[in-house]
Amino acid sequence: MTTTPDQIKHDLINHDVINHDLLRPVGQASARFFLVVAMLGLVVLAGFSAWGYQLYSGIGVAGIRRPVFWGFYITNFVFWIGISHAGTLISAILRLANAGWRRPVTRCAEVITVFALCIGAMFPVIHLGRPWVAFWLVPYPNERGLWPNYRSPLVWDFFAIDTYLIGSITFLILPIIPDFALCRDKFSGWRKTFYGLLALGWRGTQRQWHRLETAMHIMAIVIIPVAVSVHTIVSWDFAMTPVPMWHSTIFAPYFVAGAIFSGIAALIVAMVFLRRFLHLEEYLPSVCFENLGKLLLLMSLLWVYFVFAERLTIWYGNQPAEVAVLWLTQKGPYRYLFWIMVACNFGIPFPLLAIKKLRTITGTCIASITVVVGMWLERYLIIVPSLSRKFLPYAWGTYRPTWVEITITAATFAGMALLYVMFAKLVPIISIWELKVGMREASESMPSVVAVSKARPTVSERSEHETVGFKNSHRVGKP
Amino acid sequence: MAHRWGMAVDLDRCTGCEACVVACRAENNIPSVGEDQAQKGRAIHWIRVERNYEGEFPDVRVKFQPVLCQQCNNAPCEPVCPTYASYHTDEGLNGQVYNRCIGTRYCANACSYTVRFFNFFNPAWDKPLHLQLNPDVSLRQVGIMEKCTFCVQRIKSAEIRAKEEKRELRDGEPAPACVQSCPPRALVFGDLNDPESEVSRLARSRRGVKLLGELGTQPNVTYLQRNEWNDNNT
Amino acid sequence: MSRVASLYTMCPDAAAAERTVDALLSAGARREDITVISSEPFDRYEFGQHEKSRFMPWLVVLGAILGGTAGFLLVSLTTESYPIVTGGMPITPGWITGIITYELTMLAAILTTLLVLLLTAPLFRWKQEPYDVQVADGKVLVGINPQGDLPDKVKEVLKVCEDGAGGGIER
Repeated sequence: MTTTPDQIKHDLINHDVINHDLLRPVGQASARFFLVVAMLGLVVLAGFSAWGYQLYSGIGVAGIRRPVFWGFYITNFVFWIGISHAGTLISAILRLANAGWRRPVTRCAEVITVFALCIGAMFPVIHLGRPWVAFWLVPYPNERGLWPNYRSPLVWDFFAIDTYLIGSITFLILPIIPDFALCRDKFSGWRKTFYGLLALGWRGTQRQWHRLETAMHIMAIVIIPVAVSVHTIVSWDFAMTPVPMWHSTIFAPYFVAGAIFSGIAALIVAMVFLRRFLHLEEYLPSVCFENLGKLLLLMSLLWVYFVFAERLTIWYGNQPAEVAVLWLTQKGPYRYLFWIMVACNFGIPFPLLAIKKLRTITGTCIASITVVVGMWLERYLIIVPSLSRKFLPYAWGTYRPTWVEITITAATFAGMALLYVMFAKLVPIISIWELKVGMREASESMPSVVAVSKARPTVSERSEHETVGFKNSHRVGKP
Repeated sequence: MAHRWGMAVDLDRCTGCEACVVACRAENNIPSVGEDQAQKGRAIHWIRVERNYEGEFPDVRVKFQPVLCQQCNNAPCEPVCPTYASYHTDEGLNGQVYNRCIGTRYCANACSYTVRFFNFFNPAWDKPLHLQLNPDVSLRQVGIMEKCTFCVQRIKSAEIRAKEEKRELRDGEPAPACVQSCPPRALVFGDLNDPESEVSRLARSRRGVKLLGELGTQPNVTYLQRNEWNDNNT
Repeated sequence: MSRVASLYTMCPDAAAAERTVDALLSAGARREDITVISSEPFDRYEFGQHEKSRFMPWLVVLGAILGGTAGFLLVSLTTESYPIVTGGMPITPGWITGIITYELTMLAAILTTLLVLLLTAPLFRWKQEPYDVQVADGKVLVGINPQGDLPDKVKEVLKVCEDGAGGGIER
């Protein structure tokens, strides 16, 4: 259903069309949906089985060893927490900067954040030797003399990630409430009851709108420093140890920049899939992808800058232990992975994003997928080479992942896709009210705005609407 | 005055016989992980003897270097443990509380000497080897970090005995298993706070050096070796 | 507050709603009795400005301060009072206290924002009136909650808006 100029003129925005298009995927499922869910669910199930096997047999079924005590699991942990920085950047920063093109994109981004955080936060438990006592990290009064060691960056992780998770969930859910109210009003039957409950009694009074918008503004301001602190603290898991090439002050900004980089890439991938499979071509126009592509280019250059700065100082400083690790990634067995990473993070995305002709939706999608792969490799190359060559050569060793770790890694990607698909099925993936506000602002700022006409709504349109009468309220005039 | 336990390792005396390694295994119930796991690099040996080769054949010289937990005064493994399983005792030891360990392996990554070991599986002793386990040392299950403790069980029992007998500890009275079993007496253990003890005297020796001392971990273990900078026939 | 009969009308857009509100006011209704319900926020119109208040950020700041204090006490008091042996090494340095305090400050700010929103919007109150599902189609509901007898003029205004379908009172 396309909008005609007449319909737009009626009220500047065609509510029927927008509501229909964006509510279409919600609450009704096709066979293809169930097939996708089943396939992804199988992979996730395989991952859980692998984890169960690990719990039963012992952490030794994973590939970790002395001295590489951290491997795939911590790589995944840092990677997914990094991906979770998508939502914050797009939603919060662009919200504060009043960028109009962010409106259809915000919820897609915030959803990525919440689910990536949930997945990433599972890994500190998965990688433990004794995960059944992981709750000892929580400061609770006990008779065992247990108390968390606040000096440990892992305890800072615990606080930071939980704060960010609660903040992200709040940031996601607050603007969904008016859309749930919209669902409640447009649907019938069990869907009406379901969304009615979720809408928390939202009506749309001006007071509610004002409180909601103020809350969102405050959240946008608060969530940005929280997000920066989260990945800073994750980077300090590494930087606070004397391990060669970990003990670097550049890790904090390096990781935050890398997180935003991978987050934008993940967002672009998600948006491309949504656009394709939910037929949202009109609502996710190519200008969104172009602007996100430019941001991705910027972050790619920033990433290159950080990598170069770090490696140059290590090479120039010539400290034996650090240089040994450096050569491991430049001339040693990890060099293939290193150059693949550079190609994925810079070599391929740079021309695709810098040249305007190539910065199409397909171009940004390809660039984003390579960036996601490259950033995963980057986390791996930060963790494993440094641990395999520490100070005493007699204790050097190599690392090889086992099927358990590979299965769990694959399951996280499938799990993310599964959660996303299910979310898009239950909640309108584009924020309808924000989109309408944006369209209204855009058309009102145009000089040739069409004045509000006084056309009457036709009788047929009126009778379509369900008029649910609330007790004790009387509508004056014709029903 | 409180004790501060330290060790001196005389590299000029070490013959590389590895009696210390065997004694440590027997004393501290260290599990044998099996050939497969050892190939994957998961063998546990709280003290290991490193071999460093110098020179070209036929003038090759081998230097044997026993490496154990250095009981650092400024240990990088202590601040990073989220549950305080790795902590510093009043007597200068870096203690490991097995019950508190949840197995994050952060301390092992932070240790610059790679002297910390992890139980990747539940250890098992085939019968009748379970009869030779030392009852003074607790067994560690899967997911727990362990490392050299300077045989803290021997130190504690010596201190208790001395207290019962209402006397001070003699120099060399608590002897870890490795020190007790070293044939050329390359390992010396004692109280660094006692300036007259043998270990203090050796720690002040001109041949003394700290392993990876430039990292600032301030280890309690001093390595003695004669080299071109300190060789004055002393 | 018992359920009082409320009267409302549906205006096709925000400009019409604005005119209706003005007409109601000039017909003698009180501003507190008038409710305007829409499916998007209309900051630019006067009726969207009525319920604004400035207290929310200050409450959040207060909550953040409380959270920060709690964080600071958690790290400094509890660790000092626990019998953890550290052999003289520093148990809680200042930087560490700062990090945990910062995180708990932010968490408290977030939770306070959420709580204030839930309490003052207000949410968690289902089946409040007036409401009409036509709001979902972009119409704006203008309702009045009379405290006593309504002057007929007011009722006329609402009826005209309905019949005029967007015109409201002709100026």
